[in-house]
Amino acid sequence: MTTRRELLQFAGGSAMGLLLTPAPWRLITDTALWSENWPGIPRPARGEIRAKFTHCGLCAAGCAVRARCVGEQPVSLSGVAGGLCPFGVAGHHLPYHPERLKQGNRKEAAEAVARAIAASGPERRVAVLDLQPGRTASWTYRRALAAIPHGVYIAPPEPACSLNFAAARMVLSLGAPLLDGFAQPARVFAARPNFRLIQAEAMESRTASAADEWLPVAPGTEAVLGRAAAGVLPVRQAAEMTGLPEGRIAGMIRALRENGPALIVAPQMTPEVLAWNIALGAWGKTVMPRREAPVPKTWSKAAPAVALETVKDGSIGALLIDESVGDGHLPWESIRPKLATDAVVVAFAWTRSGYARHATHVLPAAVYPEALGDVPPAVDGVNAEFRLTVPLIASPDGTIDPAEFVAALAGLDAKDALRERAAAIHATGRGKLCTYADGKVAAVKDLKPEDFWKALSTGAAWTGDAEESGRTPRIAATFAGPSSEHWPFRVAIETACAPALASPLIGKLTQESHLRLAANRAALHPREGFLDGTRAAIETPYGRRIFEVTVDVAVPPGVVLVAGGPEIADIVGADGCARVVRI
Amino acid sequence: MKRNILIVAGLAAGLGAGWAGFPRAIYNSRPQPVDFSHKIHIDKAGAKCEDCHAIREDGSFAGFPTVEQCGACHAAPMGTSAAEKKFIDAYVTPHKEPVWLAYARQPENVYFSHATHVKRAQLKCEVCHGNEGSADHPRPFEQDRVSGYSRDIWGGQGRPGMKMSDCVDCHRRSAVKNATAVGDLSCLDCHK
Repeated sequence: MTTRRELLQFAGGSAMGLLLTPAPWRLITDTALWSENWPGIPRPARGEIRAKFTHCGLCAAGCAVRARCVGEQPVSLSGVAGGLCPFGVAGHHLPYHPERLKQGNRKEAAEAVARAIAASGPERRVAVLDLQPGRTASWTYRRALAAIPHGVYIAPPEPACSLNFAAARMVLSLGAPLLDGFAQPARVFAARPNFRLIQAEAMESRTASAADEWLPVAPGTEAVLGRAAAGVLPVRQAAEMTGLPEGRIAGMIRALRENGPALIVAPQMTPEVLAWNIALGAWGKTVMPRREAPVPKTWSKAAPAVALETVKDGSIGALLIDESVGDGHLPWESIRPKLATDAVVVAFAWTRSGYARHATHVLPAAVYPEALGDVPPAVDGVNAEFRLTVPLIASPDGTIDPAEFVAALAGLDAKDALRERAAAIHATGRGKLCTYADGKVAAVKDLKPEDFWKALSTGAAWTGDAEESGRTPRIAATFAGPSSEHWPFRVAIETACAPALASPLIGKLTQESHLRLAANRAALHPREGFLDGTRAAIETPYGRRIFEVTVDVAVPPGVVLVAGGPEIADIVGADGCARVVRI
Repeated sequence: MKRNILIVAGLAAGLGAGWAGFPRAIYNSRPQPVDFSHKIHIDKAGAKCEDCHAIREDGSFAGFPTVEQCGACHAAPMGTSAAEKKFIDAYVTPHKEPVWLAYARQPENVYFSHATHVKRAQLKCEVCHGNEGSADHPRPFEQDRVSGYSRDIWGGQGRPGMKMSDCVDCHRRSAVKNATAVGDLSCLDCHK
């Protein structure tokens, strides 16, 4: 009979024996190796390394992109013949964004919009808000809304002209982030050695710090220098308003006039900015008419673009917002008054951080680089262009093409709209096609239609022929007087991009390298009289948000610096005017 | 006395289990999907390693040949072996890729460039892969049940190991100086 003591003696001997073998030590090593390969750890793709070409769809600049792919998976993006902005470099992360939307009830949304269309009338309209006008999808919206009773197409204003940086020798930037994503980085930096850059801005932004000269004007008075340069505002008055010495402004104006061709750039290239440029003799040299790629003749029946401000309050019964692409953003608080009390709001979004927070129905849309589309004319495109955002990866099941959704409401078939437009461009026989893979440029008239489309759909770009600028437009350069004193502050946003457009990795890098403000804080100069840690309200013409104050001597008086984010995007307009109130 | 016998017996059992039983139990042995003979391809067809295991133009290693490459010669049987016929019927004709089991795959946290070792350092394949290229039948693939790694990382049968210490030893013996560290190795030379 074996006793328990004998078993323990045997087991003790076995344990000692095992310690003299590789078994326990190997198990320790193996367990450590196993822990390096937990299930769920991402595995890098394996496969052939290839280059694919597309155009960045994150903003209207539409930079040409070379994607390094392992197998079918894009692993890094770089610019073709130049750089990409930080957002573009990390664009291939967006499909995996933690706030990515993948589900939505299409049927329910379609029924709600159909009911709204049936109930529509002159005082209860059906609208599409297109945040990136000028695309083929925008044409689809306009065609659909022309067919839908009481349809209205709302879009932010497009630039009044195109800019030719290559021809400029003097550039006055009135707060535009010229070296920081305003236009195609490749084009701007290629032309940069040839022009002198004067940056007028209250904050020492990245563009200001890299400019040849920084004019630290009083917040919100950048446009004053444009008016002074155009000769519609006396230099003395401009000096009083901007806080700059009279001689410095006079010297700047003299340099613009004598060392041209000159170019005045503002964040929004409005007709007034065009008028200042015309006054400097820039028409046909550094500012040109805005060209658009040809469209099929059958698309002529299209609703006109309408500015949001002109829409009557409470008159929209159904609003469809396309925020699947683009950096354009209108404050939600400027949209909300236009809606009827029981309005249906459908947001086509890839993230829940934008208008999806306010919509009654949210439908998931593909995001760059999943979506096939085209890029609107770039602000620095001298000739007409047609560039496709060629998908690099497949969009998840269930994503909805906003243009097809809207077209279906009007009974239009818009599935082949891009191809139809390419055919219309080819039919003109004008322009050139550049294929980035081999760097070749071919005349369109030498290409067959199917070869033209095939090249476009693999990342080639069409550029129209150079055209005469035509007669100089007659736009009066006026002086509207100083801006309202109700809004003595200007809001400066640290990361000026649409909500959640950035890869989380970029956000992390920005936070670590730029010591970014927290989303609930606003920085003010000590002279404003706020104490650190107290609460204050930022009020704008559109709404009010409460922040905690950070006192920072690096922020100029009259500026309130906030981090970018959906909350602030809801209330801040393009002019950034605001007031800060103690609470 | 009896107590000592039991302890010694336990010790012997432990040693036996650790030295003889454990190495067998820890590995899961699986045959390759195809009874492929490197020897026939080298001796009879005069093939070289790089004919099938090519380095692409971009410097990446293509690894196993695709069934399309095999089919270039083996669309129909070239010999009389049953293994070849079975391979053609099971893979070439239906265009199905065999799931080869890689003896020498590096873990995901390591950069390893075949191009650097073969083209720049002029190393022969046998230096790391032993006599695999002249084998008449493929060895079974033995995978560690816990770590998931191939048994080949430990070396043996004429092959060096593939552990980090083996890489470092070889680099030191060959006086390889890596680009990012003068005279010595840096972690990020090899690790992701």
